[in-house]
Amino acid sequence: MWENLNLKQIVEYAKDPYPSIRKWLKEKGKKAIGSTIADVPEEVIYAFGFLPVSLIGTDKPLKKAPSRLPDNGCSLARSNLELALSYEGDLFDGFVLPQVCDTTQHLSDIWRISFPGKYVESYLAPRQVDRPSARYWVKEEIERLIASLSSWSGRSVSDKALNDAIAIHNENKKILEEIYEIKKQNPGTMTNKQFFSMVKLAMQVDKGEFNKTLKSIKAGLKPKKGKNYTDVILVGITCDPPEVFDLFDEIKLNIVGDSLVTGSRYLQSIVAQNGNPVEALTERHTRNGFFSPIHDDVYKHFEEVKALYNATNAKAIIYVHIEFCESQEYDLPDLRRMIRQEGIPMHILDTEYQTVSLSHLRTRLQAFFESLKGGSL
Amino acid sequence: MSEKLNAKQLSKKITDEYMEDAFRAHENGKLIGYSTAISPVEIFVAHDIIPIYPENHAVANLTAKKGAQLCSITENLGYTSHLCAYARSDLAYRESGITVTKGIPEPDLFLACNAQCFTLTKWFQVLARKGNLPMFVFDTPEHIMDKKARQEIVKYCVLQLKELISFLEEVTKKRFDYDRLKEVMKYSAQSSILYKKFLDMAQYKPSPISIFDALIGMAIAVYRRGTPECVEYYQTLCDEIQAKVDQGIGVLPKEKEKYRLYWENLPVWFKFSDHAKLLGSYGGVILTSLYVHAWSFDFDLDKDPLVTLAENYVSVFSNSTIEDRVEMAMELFKKYSMNGMIMFMNRSCKAVSFAVPTLKDILVRKTGIPALVFESDMGDQRFYAESQVRTRIEAYFETLDRLQADKPAA
Repeated sequence: MWENLNLKQIVEYAKDPYPSIRKWLKEKGKKAIGSTIADVPEEVIYAFGFLPVSLIGTDKPLKKAPSRLPDNGCSLARSNLELALSYEGDLFDGFVLPQVCDTTQHLSDIWRISFPGKYVESYLAPRQVDRPSARYWVKEEIERLIASLSSWSGRSVSDKALNDAIAIHNENKKILEEIYEIKKQNPGTMTNKQFFSMVKLAMQVDKGEFNKTLKSIKAGLKPKKGKNYTDVILVGITCDPPEVFDLFDEIKLNIVGDSLVTGSRYLQSIVAQNGNPVEALTERHTRNGFFSPIHDDVYKHFEEVKALYNATNAKAIIYVHIEFCESQEYDLPDLRRMIRQEGIPMHILDTEYQTVSLSHLRTRLQAFFESLKGGSL
Repeated sequence: MSEKLNAKQLSKKITDEYMEDAFRAHENGKLIGYSTAISPVEIFVAHDIIPIYPENHAVANLTAKKGAQLCSITENLGYTSHLCAYARSDLAYRESGITVTKGIPEPDLFLACNAQCFTLTKWFQVLARKGNLPMFVFDTPEHIMDKKARQEIVKYCVLQLKELISFLEEVTKKRFDYDRLKEVMKYSAQSSILYKKFLDMAQYKPSPISIFDALIGMAIAVYRRGTPECVEYYQTLCDEIQAKVDQGIGVLPKEKEKYRLYWENLPVWFKFSDHAKLLGSYGGVILTSLYVHAWSFDFDLDKDPLVTLAENYVSVFSNSTIEDRVEMAMELFKKYSMNGMIMFMNRSCKAVSFAVPTLKDILVRKTGIPALVFESDMGDQRFYAESQVRTRIEAYFETLDRLQADKPAA
């Protein structure tokens, strides 16, 4: 199903992966477990023989979710709930839902009550990462998730199965990272939309199969420098709807670095293959402290973004704000101030999952880069 | 304390002394620790750190209808209008100095417990960045229903409380006194029992207190728990309310008390007295909410203080599952004989409010009582539609009247 896709197909599948997931599950006789971002160790779900699927919203209209989550709820959370309530719920046998902010605090309760026949488990990642207790707690939660999946499915999981799952996921991230490097240096090789669709699809389909596609794509790439590209850094959690990448491609932006959960934060979450899988998964979480936006340390975030900007010689930063994301909104004024004080041009894109028209985003983006060209570009 | 003071006078005296002590903290070699309202503040008290609650200060300003003015100032700093009104009014106070009180002393350190919400953590992070000050996040994972998981959650929280103590020892260069903590816990346990007794007096018919009395009465439990004066205050308050009960004095006279109501969420602070009057005119008294019960802790003094602290703070209503919140609310419905419910969707408080639609559906189903749902903001008047709320309240009481008229005679 996902073993031999070309770039065009990847974009199409990433836009709506669910028909292919539905078909694949039927063919393989497997079950899918959905997770909202971030932090859930998908390797564990994979090791049990289930398909872990990251839920990253839908652009279809909201019908049922507003009665559960009001309009000041995070756009992604509402969109995910709608996805499951109205469109793709039948696809999933269960969900593992992390709690990373006020919107998600009771989300697993809402999902559990909304889907009484399905497996719904919370993943309670720590909301502090710098103290020894955080490490203790991550390990406890990973072990609890293993016990919970085991109890629900009647299956057990061996260290070997976990290590195999880790290896497949690591390979996936490694190839994606290698393709990303080629694309960064040779922006004419593929569009931003193609690359980020690849990452998104990787988070939703079987990695064992998709790795074959990625290897084949990588082998067949003919690096092209292209002309008149402007290098930029993309900062945020997710960047949706996918048509936002069309806007970047239209004005020839080349994303040379990012901090997206559906981008580099995912690619960098490679797990050490040192024999003890639970320890290694724990280590990954504590190492990637700011994987989940709730414990973003703004100073650390700023330093990382600045380092990325300087290392890549980018011309600007684009910050992707998800409508009604409080975690971003408490940090953004200070982050923006620090970035601007540094003299780094920064553009903030306000996005919403149910956006039907991107014309206002296009106009603002064009105006920003035109003014930038009048200056240093 | 003088025995002659009534509860109101005593509350004022305790508050004045507390704030005076806080403003003189540095002169007296003490530090100011900003704390979330629901947090293991007993550890601060035992370590001679004066806890200050920016939420309480925000409430004073929001009740005095300063919300729109203050929130606008914060929005001009780049913050959005849908963030918590406590946070927005506080950030504006930092910027403008505008307050209806004498203000609050500047912090030396922060303790953010996320059993209430994540917002407070993010808000405190903003303040900590401004002053480059130390902050401790006491992370309380949701008190999920799995018993084994709960034991692990408590263990994780105890580990963190030990880290908190080390953090305070490091900041203050002073050794933590566990015996002093035991003494503080004793006062906290006593005052919590009395505070709960005070809240539970709403069981009487007619009820001698409404939620508005509870909201005023809870202040001392929030900022002075762990002290002997807190115990004295609630003893005095309970005695006063008991005297009302003995005389049959209710918020409304017995014959006029038709509807005994449950309130979900924090109050609309700037509509505090208006709501009491409006509801009273229909024979309605709001008796209680899970929010006011959040400070009626049940500390077990036979346990390790850190364990009983962890158990209590991790299991508050705002950190409990919706199913557990239903159980907690159902207990109140039964105990207080309530026959109506007002479910407030508070734009400011996402952590509490996003559970409300689901909670409402289950409570309506379980109790058979219709619910009034309205959306507004606890502190920002720009999100309050007066005529709409009034119309909904009127319609709700008409529904309750109709249902009562349709009831077969007992």
